[in-house]
Amino acid sequence: MPRSEPDLSSVRPYADRLGDGLVQLSFTLPVPYSLAARRAALELAARMGFEEPEVVHYEQLTPGYTYFVMYGRCVQTVDFESLQDEGFDIEYMDRDEIERFAAERIGRPIVVVGASTGSDTHSVGIDAMLNLKGYHGHHGLEGYRAFETYNLGSQVPNARLLAKAIEVDADVILVSQTVTQQNLHVQNLTQLVEMVEAEGRRGEMILACGGPRVTNELAKELGYDAGFSKGTYPNHLATFIVRELAARAAVPR
Amino acid sequence: MLLSELTAPAPRLALVGLAKNTGKTVALTALLSELAAAGRTVGVTSVGRDGEEHDVIDSRIEKPRVWLRAGSIVASTDVLLRASALPHEVLERTGARTPLGTVLIARLRGEGTLEVAGPSTAAGVRAACDAMLGYGAEQVLIDGAIDRRAASSPDVADGLVISTGAVLSEDIDEVVSRTRDAVELVRLARVAHEPRARMLAIGPHSALLGEHGEHAQLPPRFALTASAADISAALDDAPQARWMLVAGALPEHFVRELAHLLHRRARELTLVLADSTKAFLSEHGPGWYAGQGLQIEVLEPISLRALTVNPIAPRSHSFDSAQLRELLHAAIGDIAIFDVMSPDYRGSRPAAIA
Repeated sequence: MPRSEPDLSSVRPYADRLGDGLVQLSFTLPVPYSLAARRAALELAARMGFEEPEVVHYEQLTPGYTYFVMYGRCVQTVDFESLQDEGFDIEYMDRDEIERFAAERIGRPIVVVGASTGSDTHSVGIDAMLNLKGYHGHHGLEGYRAFETYNLGSQVPNARLLAKAIEVDADVILVSQTVTQQNLHVQNLTQLVEMVEAEGRRGEMILACGGPRVTNELAKELGYDAGFSKGTYPNHLATFIVRELAARAAVPR
Repeated sequence: MLLSELTAPAPRLALVGLAKNTGKTVALTALLSELAAAGRTVGVTSVGRDGEEHDVIDSRIEKPRVWLRAGSIVASTDVLLRASALPHEVLERTGARTPLGTVLIARLRGEGTLEVAGPSTAAGVRAACDAMLGYGAEQVLIDGAIDRRAASSPDVADGLVISTGAVLSEDIDEVVSRTRDAVELVRLARVAHEPRARMLAIGPHSALLGEHGEHAQLPPRFALTASAADISAALDDAPQARWMLVAGALPEHFVRELAHLLHRRARELTLVLADSTKAFLSEHGPGWYAGQGLQIEVLEPISLRALTVNPIAPRSHSFDSAQLRELLHAAIGDIAIFDVMSPDYRGSRPAAIA
């Protein structure tokens, strides 16, 4: 099959040939399984902006609910070139690469102190990142030679987390917190940053936060150096830490 | 008087909100348009991110855009400057790294809106401010983020504007009392001249000090980690102590415990901090603790220039602006209080958010 080069300033989905815009979408409507349901799905897809929508599969989920699989052509494009050089994302290293990079560029154990802070009782995120067991077959930082980790668990007050971080001369403080739309936990996240500042340690510590709604944009608002959300594996966090430490060592501030 | 006139004596002016959506960025945009009208060259930075279209937590909330005229100086990231498509001249690469890119100092060659995200750390903010003043900014505005205060420290800024608003509570009296507590905290008095000189000489250590030159150094991280027994022992070992100097952060649980132990001993003590950004009080204001026999003072006070109010809590409730300002005035007294969106504000009002 002949391959043409995609135009990265104007990309759209494709299935059979570049630029065909073909998208598969699936959803459920709260309507009985019927021909009217099928027409409703077609109309909805057209309103979403898809051209030539077609229903390729539909079935009753449970009485009163119908599940659809559809195809449609997306006519919109995005300018990938303008996004590409934004440098938001980094290429992640695997564990062996991280160990080698840390040995060459850092040359000492990297101390990471983590906790779920405030009233947050969830420690799943922190455990997945730090504990040997990790998750989905990815070991946490505890399993790396490059890292020395302290997992303080959940519902840890900011003062205790900070005192521990100073005591062990931490390179990184990692906090996990569920951020809700009601802002419930945001103040606890900003307070930690402010306390690190008050202790005069902000310049020497990397602050990272993680949670289901945490993005880099939110991390910036909160005063953290990075934010990690769903889909983060321990090696993603580890890659950020070793690269950031190396970059800071290169540009003394 | 206009907000910009009242804040003009501060070359580095910090804007701090008591929570998200208290109208910090609206106050910033009002200041920017007043300063532009007066032909002043401004520098702008943000400890968070400013000028984004939608709120980072609740995307249904639209945010005010930041419009700058040609010649303005800005500290923002390489990524956001490029995305703004505004012509600009890069004056300096600061090396400050943020989740949104590396911070540059740039002079705009054309007018327009852009997102501003400067250094996140207090030291980085100070360096960026000084750089912008060095490149010809007559005043630098430091916008806060959420409820962060570190950049309002006298180590960083020369003056402060606090933004408060309906978003703090559905109860107007609660908004007033929380604002009063925050203002009390910001206006903590400078400790008297004599012990202050001794405290500055002690350096970055926590200590108990007496009237006659004696002092006892406290263990590192005392205020972060001390138990009731530790505080008791320290107090009893220094029965003549009049001041407790706290070198770093002052968490509320420590203040609460200390006030309780002093009360039991019928003793009085003055806690002294570097400045009020080091105090983390959310349950009670300094006035309440003073009533318990525990004064709180600082080595360096903050120059609070004005309050701005946002009487509207987005997607929730709102108060009458004039009433809120009157209640705040009655509770706080001698401070200028502005609602820059109100029809009675005489400055150049920023355009309403669509």
